[in-house]
Amino acid sequence: MSRFTPPEVARFFRPARAASFPAVALAGGLAFALALPITPAQANGEINIYSYRQPFLLKPLLDAYEDKTGTKANVVYAAKGLAQRLEAEGEQSPADVVLTVDISRLSVLADKDLFAPISSAEIEKNVPAQFRHPEGKWTALSLRARVIAISKKAGDADKLKHDEDLATPAWKGRLCTRPGSHVYNRALLASVIAAHGVEEATAWAKGVVGNLARKPQGHDRAQAKAIMEGQCDVAIMNSYYMGKMMTSDKAEQKDWANAVNLIFPNQGDRGTHVNISGGGIVKTSKNKDEATRLLAFLTSPEAQRIYAETNFEYPVNPAVKPSETVKSWGAFTKDKLSIEKIAELSPTAQKVIDQTGW
Amino acid sequence: MVDAALSSSGTTGGSRSRGPLSRVDAWSVGAVILAGLLLLPVAAVVYAASGSSGDLWAHLATTKLPLYVGNTLALMVGVGVVAAVFGVSSAWIVYRYDFFGREVLQWILLLPAAVPAYIVAYTLTDFLEYAGPVQGLVRDVGGFSSAREYWFPEIRSLGGAVLVMGAVLYPYVYVMARTAFSQTPSSLYEVAIISDRSVFRTVALPMARPAIVGGLTLVLMETVSDFGTVEYFAVETLTLGIFNVWIGMHSLAAAAQIALVGFVFILVLLTIEQRARAERRFTDPASRALPLPRQKLSPLGTLGAIVACLLPIGIGFILPVSVLVGFILEGSSLAPNATMLAAAQNSIMLAGGMAILVVAMSAYLGIVATYRGGRRLRLLTQIASVGYAFPGAILAIGAVTVGGAFDALSVRVLSGGLGIETGGWLSGSIGLVMIACAVRFKAIGYGAVGAGLARVPENMMHASRTLGRGFAESTRRVVVPLLWRALLAGALLVFVDVMKELPMTLLLRPFGFETLPTFVYQYAKDELLEEAALPALAILVTGIIPVVLMNATLERLNRR
Repeated sequence: MSRFTPPEVARFFRPARAASFPAVALAGGLAFALALPITPAQANGEINIYSYRQPFLLKPLLDAYEDKTGTKANVVYAAKGLAQRLEAEGEQSPADVVLTVDISRLSVLADKDLFAPISSAEIEKNVPAQFRHPEGKWTALSLRARVIAISKKAGDADKLKHDEDLATPAWKGRLCTRPGSHVYNRALLASVIAAHGVEEATAWAKGVVGNLARKPQGHDRAQAKAIMEGQCDVAIMNSYYMGKMMTSDKAEQKDWANAVNLIFPNQGDRGTHVNISGGGIVKTSKNKDEATRLLAFLTSPEAQRIYAETNFEYPVNPAVKPSETVKSWGAFTKDKLSIEKIAELSPTAQKVIDQTGW
Repeated sequence: MVDAALSSSGTTGGSRSRGPLSRVDAWSVGAVILAGLLLLPVAAVVYAASGSSGDLWAHLATTKLPLYVGNTLALMVGVGVVAAVFGVSSAWIVYRYDFFGREVLQWILLLPAAVPAYIVAYTLTDFLEYAGPVQGLVRDVGGFSSAREYWFPEIRSLGGAVLVMGAVLYPYVYVMARTAFSQTPSSLYEVAIISDRSVFRTVALPMARPAIVGGLTLVLMETVSDFGTVEYFAVETLTLGIFNVWIGMHSLAAAAQIALVGFVFILVLLTIEQRARAERRFTDPASRALPLPRQKLSPLGTLGAIVACLLPIGIGFILPVSVLVGFILEGSSLAPNATMLAAAQNSIMLAGGMAILVVAMSAYLGIVATYRGGRRLRLLTQIASVGYAFPGAILAIGAVTVGGAFDALSVRVLSGGLGIETGGWLSGSIGLVMIACAVRFKAIGYGAVGAGLARVPENMMHASRTLGRGFAESTRRVVVPLLWRALLAGALLVFVDVMKELPMTLLLRPFGFETLPTFVYQYAKDELLEEAALPALAILVTGIIPVVLMNATLERLNRR
């Protein structure tokens, strides 16, 4: 209200006499927006992927695929909600393939009937049946073990042989984990529920929470870091993070890795809990042959070697050996539990997590 | 003179004199439709919440719910207090006092608005954690060798989250308070000075209260919907609970129901804000008085003023920038590449386009509601701001639901009914990202428009109409010229907000469309922010340009 008709304002609006201000502004905004790319029509020789894995992790695999087949892969990466996006998009969805980490996400997609059955003799040959959906709605692409990291300085490492031991009083005030509700811990707890039932698993989770040296926080690398810093002696982490830290070009990450030894728990009994990364073909895809070809490629020895060498995961294809770094931790027996059981028990596991405050 | 300067008015509405049912008002109908469209994604969330959640509520009520609610309320109170203290005190200092550095401080105080909260969370942790410089110093001085030998406050805590969010959100309060201080008639300040009363407590604060409450409302909406910071600090708020239930228990219905609990908190806030504005509507049509001269500060006072202003800037801007620059200098960051450049371009285009769209939309809604609408229309346009209170990912689910339904319907009508072959228009297109951004950031644009309209003397519109000009012409020739600096300020706020928006863009974007935040996130998610230090810094630096413009706008708006 300082100046009722500033001359420069009057000049600014004079040319727009015929149109109202909102119309002018709206036109301007739309012009801006139209300069942005609109839905890319899918060209021949392209495939569209919704991914729960970060693009920089997928890049070496997709580059290799493009080199081999000439097909270019387009990726939308998101950490949450891709299932709902697919569901809402329905017939109009541009997606052909979904790639995920964690079995629960694959199961959600299969349960919502968003996947088409995969029919590929190659995939059936490459991937053991244990790591494929019974009706072929998804296939695992790599395996990761949930292992225990223990400080090299801890003198009593021999007392820690099972996930169950994490709840014993020996580790009071010495344990670090990320929050229980993270998918990796939730899946681990689901495997404990499968082995012992809800009641015993709840008591176990209570024991774990009681042993914590600090509030659950950080990611898996941060747990090794906390051990190096002396905040705790024991942590739970996914196996491939160890490989990533060991080969990191950052000296500090190597220090974190060097501070710990890995324990593959439950070797005497049910075996170490493993989880998968995997993929499936979108039911509404108009490009199912290409999608099948991509998934088959991802299970092939060539791609499995990339999973093994660049991401330090365990190949799902038994014909391919783990990387040298991963081999140096020793061989281990995997939990034989059906991987789908983990997904099925996930909601129960989350309830236990809520009850115990993990 | 003071009495004459204040024309208090509780009742507004030029259309009332014509009688409510004389004819359908196209302007109001347009506003109702627009507000309705903005509420559609929210309605989709409400619809999702109407699904069955089984026994989950019984489970939640006996386990985590009290913690979620308690932490959320504590976070709101904490962030509210920190943002109010940082925002109001710095605004008053740069308004009232003259000291060395004031000119620079008054604009760099806006900079933290451009910084995503999760980047501050990450860098503050880097600075204060065990391996960081502060604790390193503590160990050197104290001769400690392990974390178990000394006590240090836990940065990944409720307190840490309060500090981080307070430090990036206070600019909303600062902008509003600074404008309100300079819009208060100086005659009022003079009365306080003459009668030897505290100018700040007896005049400035009460007069600026509606503006401050307006700023705080935005701060608290953002607080309730935050996910990045609370996740990083492992503070179990309602937002974290939403994701535990949604992802962990596969129940979108229960997740949407928890989101509605947060929404209820916001409804209460909006009601309070509405009250604050309604009670304190005043304008100063005289405004011939000279601005209040600033008080010169002593050297000691200058030091105090600078320290007080630098504290929030330090946490909210200087620290994150230093840490990111440090990452780049030590060679941890990826070198610039084509994807990064494309992401930067996409970010700027999207933010620019959305700034214009959101402000145009808000101006239309605000002007129509103020001059043509009754109480109900004003309430509706106000409620259309609630998208801001939902966590981005949940709102994105609402948007994708609406988009999918629209596409299915349009395909059915066009190809089924009319035989025109067509695909989806919204699914997987940038349009859906834009719709979601419009819904979420309408609150920001509308807040700025509302603050601007509150200062347009109502009799200007009436005078123009009396002189025979129509509503459209009066708006264009009288209201918009008086409002346009407020619109510009709103546009710039929307710009910096869209620049740093992450969860909605992440989920809704089309193939091959990265923005700077989505590019940074893929690394930050694995605690590898250092590798994305360069694009992260680009988000902050791009924010400087609109912030400088915003400051210039505010300067002119505040005419001093």
